[in-house]
Amino acid sequence: MNETPQAGVLLSMRLSVRYGDRPDVLRDVQVNIRRGEVLGLVGQSGSGKSTLAMAVLGLLDRKQASAEGSIVCEGRDLLRLREKEFRALRGRKLALVLQSPLSALNPALKIRTQLKEAWRAHASGTPADCNNAVRLALESVTLPSTDDFLRKYPSQMSVGQAQRVLIAMAVMHRPALLIADEATSALDIITQAEILTLFRQLNRSTGMAILYISHDLASVGGICDRIAILHQGQIVELGTTEQVLTTPQHEYTRRLMAAMPKIPQPQISPQEKTEAAAAK
Amino acid sequence: MRPPEKVGRMKFVKAVALSIFVASLAAFAAAQSGGELRFCLRSEPKTFDPLKVEDDASVAIRYLTGGVLVRMNRQTQVLEPELAQSWKVSKDGKQITFKLRSGISFSDGTPFSAEDVAYTVQQLMDPNLHSPTGDAFRSGPGNVETKIISPTQISITFPAPVAGLDRQFDQVAILSAHSPKKEMAVLGPFMVADYQPGSTVLLKRNPNYWKRDAQGRQLPYLDSIRLDIQPNRDVELLRFKRGEIDLINSLDSEYFDKLGAASPQLVHDAGPSLDSEQMWFDQVSKAPIASYKKTWFRSPAFRRAISQAINRDDLSRIVFRGHAQPAIGPVSSANKFWFNAKLKPQTYSPDSALKALQSEGFRLENGTLKDKDGNAVEFSLITNAGNKYRERMAAMIQDDLQKIGVRVNVVTLDFPSLIERMTQTFDYEAILLGLTNVGLDPNEQMNVWLSSSENHQWNPQEKAPETAWEAEIDQLMRAQASSADPRKRKEAFDQVQEIVVEQAPFIYLVNRNALSAVAASVHGASPVILAPQTYWNIESLSVH
Amino acid sequence: MRSWHGRVWRRVASIVLLLVVGVSLSANWLAPEGYARQYREAASAPPSRQHWLGTDEIGRDRLARVLYGTRISLLLAPAAALLSTLMAALIGGLAGYLGGAWARVAMAVTDLFLSLPWLFLLITVRAMMPLNVSPMISVLVTFLLLGLLGWTTASRVLCATAGSLRNADFVQQARASGVPDARLFWVHVVPNLKPVLYAQFWISIPAFILSEANLGILGLGVTEPTPSWGSLLRELEGVISIGEEPWKFVPLVLLVIVVTSFQLVLSDQEQVAA
Ligand SMILES: Nc1ncnc2c1ncn2[C@@H]1O[C@H](COP(=O)(O)OP(=O)(O)OP(=O)(O)O)[C@@H](O)[C@H]1O
Ligand SMILES: [Mg+2]
Repeated sequence: MNETPQAGVLLSMRLSVRYGDRPDVLRDVQVNIRRGEVLGLVGQSGSGKSTLAMAVLGLLDRKQASAEGSIVCEGRDLLRLREKEFRALRGRKLALVLQSPLSALNPALKIRTQLKEAWRAHASGTPADCNNAVRLALESVTLPSTDDFLRKYPSQMSVGQAQRVLIAMAVMHRPALLIADEATSALDIITQAEILTLFRQLNRSTGMAILYISHDLASVGGICDRIAILHQGQIVELGTTEQVLTTPQHEYTRRLMAAMPKIPQPQISPQEKTEAAAAK
Repeated sequence: MRPPEKVGRMKFVKAVALSIFVASLAAFAAAQSGGELRFCLRSEPKTFDPLKVEDDASVAIRYLTGGVLVRMNRQTQVLEPELAQSWKVSKDGKQITFKLRSGISFSDGTPFSAEDVAYTVQQLMDPNLHSPTGDAFRSGPGNVETKIISPTQISITFPAPVAGLDRQFDQVAILSAHSPKKEMAVLGPFMVADYQPGSTVLLKRNPNYWKRDAQGRQLPYLDSIRLDIQPNRDVELLRFKRGEIDLINSLDSEYFDKLGAASPQLVHDAGPSLDSEQMWFDQVSKAPIASYKKTWFRSPAFRRAISQAINRDDLSRIVFRGHAQPAIGPVSSANKFWFNAKLKPQTYSPDSALKALQSEGFRLENGTLKDKDGNAVEFSLITNAGNKYRERMAAMIQDDLQKIGVRVNVVTLDFPSLIERMTQTFDYEAILLGLTNVGLDPNEQMNVWLSSSENHQWNPQEKAPETAWEAEIDQLMRAQASSADPRKRKEAFDQVQEIVVEQAPFIYLVNRNALSAVAASVHGASPVILAPQTYWNIESLSVH
Repeated sequence: MRSWHGRVWRRVASIVLLLVVGVSLSANWLAPEGYARQYREAASAPPSRQHWLGTDEIGRDRLARVLYGTRISLLLAPAAALLSTLMAALIGGLAGYLGGAWARVAMAVTDLFLSLPWLFLLITVRAMMPLNVSPMISVLVTFLLLGLLGWTTASRVLCATAGSLRNADFVQQARASGVPDARLFWVHVVPNLKPVLYAQFWISIPAFILSEANLGILGLGVTEPTPSWGSLLRELEGVISIGEEPWKFVPLVLLVIVVTSFQLVLSDQEQVAA
């Protein structure tokens, strides 16, 4: 299944990626991410989800991976950017939240340092400016911004707190696209729900688009506007959440559906969806 | 099996054999068994061929196994007859005629005659053989001529006069011209019986050795000598203490005191040896050092002042624990004949040293000596790393010279780089080293004193003598070399010694004493200053 | 309870170290005559009221030499250790972080360094140095050399550690935040090398003290009349039994105590790292 370019598109990709001389991990994947939408990317382990995320962020190891095609964002092809230009985008236009919050935070640094580093990567100003930005970022993820808290090392926080810190770092510069790669997979079910709600809130309040990557169709349903199913390096199905969940077209999607645990899922009411659309 | 009819004769033979056995047993008991002498070689002997000998270990084996025509008595320092009964050196110093003993045979039974001497000399001088011993005889181009006058008489003619010709034969062990055993057939008191590389050399008495003692008993007394190869001096000392070895040649002064503290009867201080410790300044004109420093170094007054400011008594007393004598000049007082007895020891006087320097335009400013252009007097003194005595001497000299405002930087270098600086690049200011003198005769120091020589260390290979005094030394050295009259020679060499002391190209510091240790079980030992200190009279040593 | 004992010993060790440093720093006051004065009438003397540890072979007060020597070795060894640690971090850590050809080149250089005939090279270096060098400069040069050459052992470990950090999640995360490469290395990677760097630092100190002693035996270390632990230990050459002159062993005992103390403090650091 392919998608044609549309208006309101933030990022439009047509991508093939190969590691060394092994067969392509991503084969001519075509996806558009619209401004302000939450796009779910679902696929089983090894289907190439992270590869796609890294390609968008320009973090594929250039010595090992070769990407072909284009990732057009605001008129520029990211694949053809020089490293320096790309760096200016990372953390500012494009942000990432990784799966395991404890390993994604530097164990040797206080979170204050890590947040400051993230701020400093794209801003300059007085220490006061910096502190202010850090405080705002923490508040946006409903974390305390006390000195006590800022002095903590990652190992001294709960997993949920750590994940919020990561998100705070990611949204600090109000990126246009946040890529959450299995951002909730490592969390318990309650925390998972909290973080999902947080993502939704951030999506609504800042209007940033989220590429929400998961291997779990169930967790995606509650948050995404649209869902893309990635199977063996190809998009096999792409549609609104409702379409995909209710009338799956592809055989593989149906299998995924069948594997879903039969517990009630947090569904988003049609009303909420309209609100989200209005925020765009 | 013997035929039965010979039984009667057998009995007789047996009886004779028995009586001979009993007689020899009695003789054995009377003189007592000579026993086995054990001591250490400090390195692996490189060769058993006496003509190829260069290293100390091989020299030792040559001394013990080789038969020589003449031998310099290490005690009296006089040349004595050995295989040659008598000898005569021609006036021109080119020819020597030996009258040989007869009835002597090599260790393997091959008889000895003038032919063997001729053969040895030809081998010695064979340019293809590169005999280091032969070098002393190679005084000019041309071939050596050997003329066998009779089986016991031979004359040898060299193409050019050889300095101290007869003495040089002390080093020449005679080879057999005919023996199938080649150089293993020897004329000396012992022969090599077994060699375990890296471990031991076993010498057995030469059954055919010609010499007898006053009682007519065949020498040597010893049955065998066991030489353990042991480079480590600490181990050598330890083994001596444990009674595993009987001798230590040239003992360290520290070890000497340690050993002597426990058992004073075992250690022997034979007094000052020929070896000297000395320092000198670089006087090479093309040396890559500051020219103002060259000016100091080339000034005899400066050198004399430095010499005078060094406390030699303290060096001997402290560094060598009294087992050294302040050196007087180039020749040790131990060299009985050649030492110039008119020379007096350098008195230590920093005050007069300073005065002398001041009259040369130097001045002392805030404890620093400056030359007349205001350069602070500072020089580096190199010595070889790992020699603690030299390092201590250097530290003491540093301290002594501090008193006249001279700053000395002591530098220890590994030997090869020191030698490279000393002989190739001349990139040094002053060197502190020792000189080992093996020979007594001034001719053996020719290469040190001639200004054209490579070993003229302070300024080697001068095209023409650069100073009047060097020219004078050249002339005197040549004069003594070309004379056969010992008195004339001594006169000339005395003058050389005076000039050297006066000009101080070498600043002689101390003569180390010859220290040795001999186990109580060794009889007949009387250690001397000349090598081999403890076993120079090996024939008359015995162990019980 | 290993940790309780451990803590007591570590406390003792640090007190010992502080004490040694303190006493050696007060050398000027404790030994006002200095380390070079030669009491020639009392050479090789046993301990006495004037010379608590006796005198050396040329009559210098052994206590003064031990004090000043301790000062030199104990101040310069940590300085050299710091230098070598920084170099190890820079060379090993950076190469590991950059990975690929960089790491291979750095490891090849490290291997080369480890396989070089150091003795020979140091002798050559000494031979090439100018001759008129004041003793103090020779001290500094010796320790500088030790510092410049001592990074190799740690650089291997650092390269491997940094290599494993290169693709760690938190580095990727920071990279995705747009942190520039140089900052990524210094701010995010180096702090995670700290345990290895600490270990390298603490291990280097005793190692350098001993190396200087060895260099001294080769005539490469500190020159006369300056004392160092190296030159003091050389006095023990040829001493066969302790019984004869036990006071000569004071520098050795001091060295053993200091090295052991360093090891104890080091085990502390390792625990922090673990
Ligand atoms: N650096 C790499 N070198 C070689 N192959 C790689 C590399 N990274 C990933 N791959 C391969 O590419 C394929 C896709 O990997 P990727 O990590 O993108 O999958 P994923 O969908 O994110 O899986 P998961 O759900 O386990 O995270 C896998 O087969 C993986 O083995
Ligand atoms: Mg993944």
